[in-house]
Amino acid sequence: MRCGVILPGASMAPLHLRHRAGASGSGAGALGWTPVKNPGLRAAGLKTRAAVEEGGKVGASFYDLLGISEGGSLEEIKRAYKKMARKYHPDVSPPDLAGEYTRRFIELQEAYETLSDPGRRAMYDRDLARGLQFALSSRRRFDQELEEKAAWRNRWQDQLETLKMRSMQRDSMENLSWGARMRRQRDE
Amino acid sequence: MAASVSLMAAHAGARRFFGSPSSSFDARKKFRVRADKDGKAMIRKEKNEWKVDYSGEKPATPLLDTINYPIHMKNLSVQELEQLAAELRADVVYTVSNTGGHLSASLGVVELTVALHHVFNTPEDRIIWDVGHQAYSHKILTGRRSRMNTIRQTSGLAGFPKRDESVYDAFGVGHSSTSISAGLGMAVARDLLGKKNHVVSVIGDGAMTAGQAYEAMNNSGYLDSNLIVVLNDNKQVSLPTATLDGPATPVGALSGALTKLQASTKFRKLREAAKSITKQIGGPTHEVAAKVDEYARGMISASGSTLFEELGLYYIGPVDGHNVEDLVTIFQKVKAMPAPGPVLIHIVTEKGKGYPPAEAAADKMHGVVKFDPKTGKQFKSKPSALAYTQYFAEALIQEAEVDDKIVAIHAAMGGGTGLNYFQKRFPQRCFDVGIAEQHAVTFAAGLATEGLKPFCAIYSSFLQRGYDQVVHDVDLQKIPVRFALDRAGLVGADGPTHCGAFDITYMACLPNMVVMAPADEAELMHMVATAAAIDDRPSCFRFPRGCGIGVPLPLNNKGIPLEIGKGRILMGGNRVALLGYGSMVQTCVKAADSLRNYGITPTVADARFCKPLDAELIRTLANEHEILITVEEGSIGGFGSHVSQFLSLNGLLDGHLKLRSMVLPDRYIDHGSPKDQIEEAGLSSRHIAATVLSLLARPKEALHLL
Repeated sequence: MRCGVILPGASMAPLHLRHRAGASGSGAGALGWTPVKNPGLRAAGLKTRAAVEEGGKVGASFYDLLGISEGGSLEEIKRAYKKMARKYHPDVSPPDLAGEYTRRFIELQEAYETLSDPGRRAMYDRDLARGLQFALSSRRRFDQELEEKAAWRNRWQDQLETLKMRSMQRDSMENLSWGARMRRQRDE
Repeated sequence: MAASVSLMAAHAGARRFFGSPSSSFDARKKFRVRADKDGKAMIRKEKNEWKVDYSGEKPATPLLDTINYPIHMKNLSVQELEQLAAELRADVVYTVSNTGGHLSASLGVVELTVALHHVFNTPEDRIIWDVGHQAYSHKILTGRRSRMNTIRQTSGLAGFPKRDESVYDAFGVGHSSTSISAGLGMAVARDLLGKKNHVVSVIGDGAMTAGQAYEAMNNSGYLDSNLIVVLNDNKQVSLPTATLDGPATPVGALSGALTKLQASTKFRKLREAAKSITKQIGGPTHEVAAKVDEYARGMISASGSTLFEELGLYYIGPVDGHNVEDLVTIFQKVKAMPAPGPVLIHIVTEKGKGYPPAEAAADKMHGVVKFDPKTGKQFKSKPSALAYTQYFAEALIQEAEVDDKIVAIHAAMGGGTGLNYFQKRFPQRCFDVGIAEQHAVTFAAGLATEGLKPFCAIYSSFLQRGYDQVVHDVDLQKIPVRFALDRAGLVGADGPTHCGAFDITYMACLPNMVVMAPADEAELMHMVATAAAIDDRPSCFRFPRGCGIGVPLPLNNKGIPLEIGKGRILMGGNRVALLGYGSMVQTCVKAADSLRNYGITPTVADARFCKPLDAELIRTLANEHEILITVEEGSIGGFGSHVSQFLSLNGLLDGHLKLRSMVLPDRYIDHGSPKDQIEEAGLSSRHIAATVLSLLARPKEALHLL
């Protein structure tokens, strides 16, 4: 599945510094750029983080960011991302708008990474429908995977417990299925 | 010294491949399996994971060497099981690199195999592997390790589980989606006989797309017999798991459902809430928690789990399919329950896991020839001509360029049928329906009724699944669906499960079907064009596995439609006529060449059509020759039978003619090299020449040839 690459600075850094430092294989690797630690960034990042913690909408969804419809194909996403990235890349942005453009660029990067991976896109679409726009997008892939695995373990442990409980009562006389009848017969 | 240098180089290479492990795991001591003079082992545990150096030498597998049968695994601890899994991986890669075969499927289920054999008591407990190409580690663990170097070769191990081969192979498989049905049969029989063993069916997400899997699950839910179904989900629904441009996205709605199942965050949040409530209130709130669980499970939009639940199977998962401890825990718990009924355990694995070249390849190295274990590079010899499959794909693309009504359908075999090329050129006109041949045929029929020209490319043996649809939905209604039957005749290493012996028989007996077979790749292209032109009735053509013979191709690879029901004569002669059908025509030509040394000049004819037969050609051959031999690579009831029926009805057998039909023998030919199989079947050019000689009353020379 994924290569489990850990990024430098794996501690619980504030949100704006958690963006992937250009380490992804596909997606943003196209431009091979790492985010610059820009003072303007911090302010913008804080605003984003606050919005996330409130759980409310900050405005645009990933689709709005890229300027495509929600049912856009991979080709459309790629094209839109490339177009936008060329416009908002910090190297080509006007100096007074550098901060804002950089923040935009980072958001674009996230949008592209999420939407170009079909699995993540599916999850994002679902969360979008439930109004949790930035919930999954700002988590790092690796963290996500770890959490997922832990969640899976919890889930199947519960499922096993429930099955055990059910299986105690399964062959009571009310169960008329073929299997239950045969088991009762066998255990007599 | 060279050995240690290569080991070090491989070690460095492996280090680069694997990168640095994550920093959030605790550092653990290195566990040395074997220390050679450099102090580095090939299979070793670093921090939290097992690493394997694929260096091309036979890997040192101290633990695996002690396991001959599953019973030797019973006393292993979880750590030892993990080590065993790493050693098994190394062994599988080493074996397949020397023999060729199916690689990544086996790598994905190594942990599952180890867990199953550790927990269950085979052979009393039955394990059924769907399709079976992932069962290499199963074979290694069940007493066949020493023979693994013969796998898929003549007189060697079969590439799929086979009941005749070992008592640990509970059911013979090769076509997909049969494991749950077979498992249910074994479970019900066990109940009727009063036994207490367990039955486990392992099925993949690709095989789940076939209807038979649902039929089986539906029935098992109803019968409620104890049965464990392991759904091995590696998100590879189509084979060989890649289009020309990269990995294939999963086909069908089911994979979407499975993805959602794997990532349902809402359930987790609810569960956390329930847990915290229980902690705070304490006491009899476990009932409340259980109720929340039940409620939550039904409420989630993860329709996949409710699908299995609705069918009557208890759903457990998703589970990390590469974590031996988790798997062993779950299997032990389920095994201990007295009456779990049918249970479905959804495990998530990665195809080719643990072997970086396979993980990185677009097609995950599903089926490979011999390769170099260090790099994963396959040793593919450059043939002089391309495979028939490629010529077919080329010809179809050329037809579709001029006629935009042509569409192509296949059943999860884009690579095998060559339709990946068609898909690349005409993405909107190529349909992959998943492993669903029945649906593919009727779907094609539906397309054709609206005026489109569908080409159904399905392997000869896989079309057996959709035969009623061919008869009832296509032929009975005379709907112009074109069938391209690849892998017709004997298929070599895959063996009798994939052998296309019966398609001439089952297609030519249908009243409205046009049945043809090309003798070489140019003829194949013409027949594609012919099929495209036949618009008032269904048609089919068959071609074998293997490469063309190198004849000149038509201009621009665009075929010219042949006249229907007209064969051709390749060589004129006297007294003896060899009438070949399909690729056997080439064998007849060879036989004729060798017969010239005996002073015999046979006529060699290519029938081209089995239905409608070239009546004029056959009449000529019958009237002007003393001996007529028909040759085909198909079972009885095919071309030879149609010719003999024609001859007898037209009174041509009442005279001087000696007729012999050479067909595949009335038994299943085991896997092996194509040459060995043809020899075994008695259809080589020597056999044809010997038949001629014995008919000419020259038995001594015939015996010399054989």
